[in-house]
Amino acid sequence: MEEPVDTATAILASAAVLLRERTFDDISYRVLADEVGISERTIYRQYPTRAHLLAALSNWIEQTRFPLPPFVTVSDFRAAVHERFRAFDTLPAYAYVGARASAISPTLDTEPAYITRAIEAMLDVAAPTLNRRDRRRVAASLRYFSSAMFWARLRTGFDLDAGEICDAFDRAVDTVLAKLPDATWAEP
Amino acid sequence: MTEPTAVPALSGTQEAILAAYAGLIEEVGSDDVSNRVIARRAGIAERTVFRNYPTRVDLLLATAAWLEATVFAREESHSIFDIPLAIRDAMQRYDARPELAHVVAETAMRGVNGATPSPGRAQLERLLDGEVPSLDAAQRRAVIAALSHLDSVGTWVTFRREFGMDRRDIADAAAWAAEAVLDRIRDRVAP
Repeated sequence: MEEPVDTATAILASAAVLLRERTFDDISYRVLADEVGISERTIYRQYPTRAHLLAALSNWIEQTRFPLPPFVTVSDFRAAVHERFRAFDTLPAYAYVGARASAISPTLDTEPAYITRAIEAMLDVAAPTLNRRDRRRVAASLRYFSSAMFWARLRTGFDLDAGEICDAFDRAVDTVLAKLPDATWAEP
Repeated sequence: MTEPTAVPALSGTQEAILAAYAGLIEEVGSDDVSNRVIARRAGIAERTVFRNYPTRVDLLLATAAWLEATVFAREESHSIFDIPLAIRDAMQRYDARPELAHVVAETAMRGVNGATPSPGRAQLERLLDGEVPSLDAAQRRAVIAALSHLDSVGTWVTFRREFGMDRRDIADAAAWAAEAVLDRIRDRVAP
């Protein structure tokens, strides 16, 4: 386990432990307070609403359990996403928290996720002459197909495992990239 | 989703509860509204809310399903190649009611708690199998999965939050992506 450095992090670490045996909805502030050994009031001070707790917990899980491998090229991007989907499959309860946190109204963290910026940077290099609208269409599509939401939807709605989800992801990426003329892509 | 989601028939009281809750969510800007306040708005006793929806998760699931079937209902598509148009309309509808859209989005991502993240899947499969029956299993699954994913409120949330897109840009990008998914099968329609 990580060494919690402050109260806010200790609360997240305990919430992550509790997630192994119950869903986020079933982790009340009272249960969480008992687990950390602090008062409920202290948790409210750190996380005024459950949405704040969910967003912070998701960020912390993302950093500690699902770090995104860096990527520059499209094939590195595919490999990085495959690695994440496989990691999600080994810790589904944690990945569901990420999918859910990405669906709520933004609370504390209104910055785009790191993967969003990385996809935009990848396209800047791979397709430098691509017009702005098509660039955003491609970036948004790639971002959405590489999300925890995509993994969660295919796992719960389609009963797919990580291998099958990676296959569906690859095919979606192919269709998006095929929209652009071949000449768009910079020579590696 | 391309037709109203199958929602279990609601009693008048249930519909009043869900409508009251949805109205309050939009006013308060959060789904954190007490049953007492919901009951008062619906003009019923608080215990009636509990009797119909014993937990908050029950209430949220019912509210999200009701919203998808009413406020966010799609016009029925008669072809898989109409789906991008339905997606474009749906994105505009989500954008007009952002608080409600977020409630539907979060509810769909509750994981194992009984949410149905792809309510329109059966409809997409029916259309695709009727028009393009020659796909192999993996191709078929990929098309259905990609379109289900795009035809959901998650698209609106992600494009807005991660790219700061406005209503027009979200509708455009979502429909564009759906057209991309269909490109591969555009000329494979059964005669």
